[in-house]
Amino acid sequence: MSQYVSNSQTETKEFSRRYLFFYVVVTLAMGLLFARLWHLQIISGEELKNFSDKNSLKKTTTASPRGLILDRENRVIVDNLPGFMATISPQYTTNLQELAEAIHPIIKLEPKDIVKKVNQSRRRNGPFLPVSIKKNLNMEEVFRLKRLRIDYPGLDIQETIVRSYKLSENGAQLFGFVRQISKKEIKKFKKKHKNILFEPGDIIGKAGIELTWETTLKGLNGADFIEVDAKGRKTYKTNSKFLNIEPKPAIPGKSLVLTIDKDIQEAALKAFSRDDYVGDRVGSIVVMKSNGEILAWVSTPSYDANNFSTGISSKLWSQLVNDPKKPLVNKVVQDHYSPGSTFKPIVALAALQEKIVNPWTKVYSPGSYTLGRGTYHDSHREGHGHINITEAIERSSNVFFYKAGHTLGIDRIHRYAKLFDLGVKTDLNIGYEVSGLIPSKAWKKKALGEIWTPGETVVNAIGQGYVLTTALQMAKAYNAIAQNGVVYQPFIVKKVIDQNDQVISEFEPKIIRDITVPDEESGAYIKKEYFKTVQKGMKNVFQGDHGTAKWYKIKGVEMAGKTGTTQVRKFSSKNIYKKCKERPYKFRHHGWFVGYAPYKNPEITIAVLAEHSCSGALGGAGTFKDIVNAYLKKYRPDLFAKSQGKKKGGT
Amino acid sequence: MQNYSSLQNSKRFSRFNFKFAFIIFALLFIGLINLFSATHGVSLGHNTRLFWLQLIWMSAGWILFLIVTFIDYDLFKRLAYAFYGFNIIALIMVMLVGKTVLGAQRWLDLGFFRWQPSETAKISVALVLAKIFSEKSYPNGMGVKDLLWPGVITLIPFILTVRQPDLGTSLLIIGIAVSMVLFIKVKWSIIIVLLLGGVLATPLVWNFGLKKYQQDRVMIFLNPGRDPRGRGYNSIQSKVAVGSGRLLGKGFRKGTQSQLEFIPERHSDFIYSVLSEEHGFIGSVFTLGLFCILFFTSLRISYEARDKFGALVTIGILSFIFFHTFINVGMVTGILPIVGMPLPLLSYGGSSLLTVMLGLGIISSVSYNKYLF
Repeated sequence: MSQYVSNSQTETKEFSRRYLFFYVVVTLAMGLLFARLWHLQIISGEELKNFSDKNSLKKTTTASPRGLILDRENRVIVDNLPGFMATISPQYTTNLQELAEAIHPIIKLEPKDIVKKVNQSRRRNGPFLPVSIKKNLNMEEVFRLKRLRIDYPGLDIQETIVRSYKLSENGAQLFGFVRQISKKEIKKFKKKHKNILFEPGDIIGKAGIELTWETTLKGLNGADFIEVDAKGRKTYKTNSKFLNIEPKPAIPGKSLVLTIDKDIQEAALKAFSRDDYVGDRVGSIVVMKSNGEILAWVSTPSYDANNFSTGISSKLWSQLVNDPKKPLVNKVVQDHYSPGSTFKPIVALAALQEKIVNPWTKVYSPGSYTLGRGTYHDSHREGHGHINITEAIERSSNVFFYKAGHTLGIDRIHRYAKLFDLGVKTDLNIGYEVSGLIPSKAWKKKALGEIWTPGETVVNAIGQGYVLTTALQMAKAYNAIAQNGVVYQPFIVKKVIDQNDQVISEFEPKIIRDITVPDEESGAYIKKEYFKTVQKGMKNVFQGDHGTAKWYKIKGVEMAGKTGTTQVRKFSSKNIYKKCKERPYKFRHHGWFVGYAPYKNPEITIAVLAEHSCSGALGGAGTFKDIVNAYLKKYRPDLFAKSQGKKKGGT
Repeated sequence: MQNYSSLQNSKRFSRFNFKFAFIIFALLFIGLINLFSATHGVSLGHNTRLFWLQLIWMSAGWILFLIVTFIDYDLFKRLAYAFYGFNIIALIMVMLVGKTVLGAQRWLDLGFFRWQPSETAKISVALVLAKIFSEKSYPNGMGVKDLLWPGVITLIPFILTVRQPDLGTSLLIIGIAVSMVLFIKVKWSIIIVLLLGGVLATPLVWNFGLKKYQQDRVMIFLNPGRDPRGRGYNSIQSKVAVGSGRLLGKGFRKGTQSQLEFIPERHSDFIYSVLSEEHGFIGSVFTLGLFCILFFTSLRISYEARDKFGALVTIGILSFIFFHTFINVGMVTGILPIVGMPLPLLSYGGSSLLTVMLGLGIISSVSYNKYLF
């Protein structure tokens, strides 16, 4: 074919071989490029497509504020305060070490910690999520950091909303706290709430009302997609037609109006710290209006929820978790205790309804009660002599209730206690509520595999043994006694309102049942007259000469209640009357006081539980009295004036 | 006479390699469409004039191509040294008075046109080497003596372009020379010595011959993820652009990577990434396939050439265009380091386009003049 005039035959052959070599080289080289294109576009195409989507579209989030939490008079309890936060975008940071060193003198964070934090987030969340370096910047820090931004485009100052708890430690377990959502939680929440968007960086409720009402309080972050160039700058035209992405407006969270009264809430905490109180103030208080509205909710010791809003230090966190007094536990519902003598009115009502005693039946207490080989002591070594049921409540006689309980048997006690929803969760959904326990023969067989013994009935009849209740359950039950058998559902959120104060939903008091009417399931009921009998006994706890809380009267205002002192461990008969204050703290009795006021036309019910306070009178009754006073002062100035006036007249 | 003339005329047309010209036309057309997309992005309204300028260069390119086609390439053989000498003077002038663009001195401003002598140097070297090799016969392969003069011819423009600095072009000149020498036949001992020399010289060249940015380019090629916002950025963004096109591409003017300036130099060196992103695997392979046909056609033209010079000059120019294509696509797809090397016929740029059209014109001329009568 080829015809080089000057070439020899051999050279032509050589050339043919060269051409073959060149064909092969070209084919191999092009083949390599085809293979590379296949690899990039077909094999990695999907992944690179996703990358390129993120690359050009920068998502800007328009933060939606979380709803506020207000008290019943619309006073802000949990607020949003504007704050500034320093962030670093790994995507736009070329020299992280240098940046970390540059900001170190301003925000006093170790450069190596900053580098570590950014790299960690980069690994976990990719380079596009800005990493929060420091929250709660002060104005000086903001200005100094803003100056650095010129040299470090990765550095950013973002406006944030800092959750602020006005009552700080008071009611912290009730209101809860917020934290940034974790990756794990995003998955969990997405499954749980399909309609609500949870994204990295979102602030979510982690406890209390903040957690329970998360989906109401949480706003929906708005999103806008802007097209950015390689340097993160906005391009001339945003939302250009060939990407067709509509901005999404932010939807603010809804606010909650609680039934809580800030004044009563503050008064309750103050009342818990009375001077005559023994030992540390560990325990809980719940103040409920007679229709179930909760006015105050205290659990001590507590923590300052504001510490969580700005990112709690791991040191403080572990301190809170490991504190033996459990400040993170909402003791109103999250811990149950033996109700002790505060259980007696329930047993009294059961005994009356079952006609084991009538209001006039006298029972003799010699100071102890013997059943089989067991000897059970009364509240006084000498006993109370011949007493009827109202006197038994007034004096908190154990022997009366040993006898009554023994005759009733545990199953009948269980039957009547259940009418008051004792040992049942309240459906308030605040915190991880425990149910407590009202034992029965069937329960013991099932749970422990053992047969119930009469001796256990005797112990459980005075609220010891297996019986466990929460403070909220006791308040709910006593409120039912005060209301002659009408059981109200406790509730804490009155209204949900939007940002324009428009009411979205409102919650009305709810009656769970009327105990004077036979129960649908068990058929059990208690006649109204028996409530009157028990109420009288509870009134005499204050008014009677032998009343266990007679020292805590309010002049001119009759109140009703019951003390409860529960042993935290068994003592020998020799030691049982030993002075409580002489025992080591953790062996001291818990003190309960549950009651309502005023005696006639009751308005509020209060349960006070004071751990290791030695007795109900010492630990609870005084607190009860102070809270009632605070209530009267605000809501019943007429009664309050009466009490003050009489007092003044007396001195 | 009348008859003979008409025969001559019909022969004139049949001798013109339409297939070769059509492939060039197709590639230029694809390039034009693609350049329109690259220069009519959302964020740079002012750069649309590049498209129109390219259209002018293309017209000029075609005229050059056709003129050269119909000239007997023997003229180029005779004028080879003149071209070469003129080119070397231009390269020296670039060093003295050249325009500095992007940190490198590469252009001579001729008023209407900024000439890049390093581009035409590739053709000049191919012409001179073809002339030298075609005038001698090497039945036993080239020895050291035979390579001395061609070596000098190659090294002068090499050194001048390295100094600009334009590492890509200077290595390409070496590549053209090596291809031609391999084509002629060279003694095995020399290949081995050169390979060994190259291996030993690498660390020396690395430390003393390369500037910092050149070293960086190689380092980043080896590990582009090391500094994605910095120097390896181009490579990553380009790969993302190519890959994100997937099978069918994002569509004309819908490539987000290129439209939103993630790709630097997307109208010139990274034009192929625009094509790949917007037209996907199908479009990329189709275009690369056209290049393949162009290369195979050129090899055939070389094989069918009437003389050794024609065959050799075709090989030289082919290797020039082939290396450009391979290195550019390799760079855009991330298998080669980033070097400033345009994609023939597709990248924007007058110098590059006219040089390529001149080279292809010479090949076309070799094809046109393959018959002695």
